[in-house]
Amino acid sequence: MMVIRRKVGQAIRINDDIRLVILDIQDGRITRFGIEAPEDIAVHRLEIYEQIQQENKAAIAGDALAWLKQGE
Amino acid sequence: MTAITSPLQPTAQPSTIREFSFPRGLAGFPEASRFAFIYEGKGNMLCMQSLEYEEASFIVTPWDTTRLGEAPALSKEQRTCLKLDQDDHIMWMLVLNPFADKTWVTANLKAPIAINEKQLMGLQCIRNDADLELRYPWMEQPSLT
Repeated sequence: MMVIRRKVGQAIRINDDIRLVILDIQDGRITRFGIEAPEDIAVHRLEIYEQIQQENKAAIAGDALAWLKQGE
Repeated sequence: MTAITSPLQPTAQPSTIREFSFPRGLAGFPEASRFAFIYEGKGNMLCMQSLEYEEASFIVTPWDTTRLGEAPALSKEQRTCLKLDQDDHIMWMLVLNPFADKTWVTANLKAPIAINEKQLMGLQCIRNDADLELRYPWMEQPSLT
């Protein structure tokens, strides 16, 4: 993993089109980022994205069509 | 050949199934970008079937405003991804999980699916609100009713 030290107000550029700015640090613990990215780039909080990944996988833990047909 | 009917799939033969494009795939299935909706005559439930990965089949149901209130608003980037014009209708679907709970079939309110029927586009919209339920009790398990 690349580690970069930045101060509030400083930014990181990823490729030509993604810019990440450190907006402020609250209580010395919580960092607020501003992210500028093209509209086709989806940005999510990691823990929420991982939750959705796991839930999608759990939701197909069977054959959906067979489940819909059950009891016929 | 079995006829397929659904709100998203008017009577059609399998060879003419309408294909919906999900340019971002689904979380956990980023490469599953083509889906069809298949109705099996079970209430409001449809099968959302990947046309690329047989195992990627989901049970989905339309957003219910009576129970959940208004459907979410789409961001500008989500509208762009769905190729939505000003007047295009959005159909919201919830992914159901029949396997999460012995008593309830649950619905994922954190990541509903927006469908642009006109352009045949779909997008799973991940919502960052921590209060939204990942496993909202949607209906009793059919075996219990």
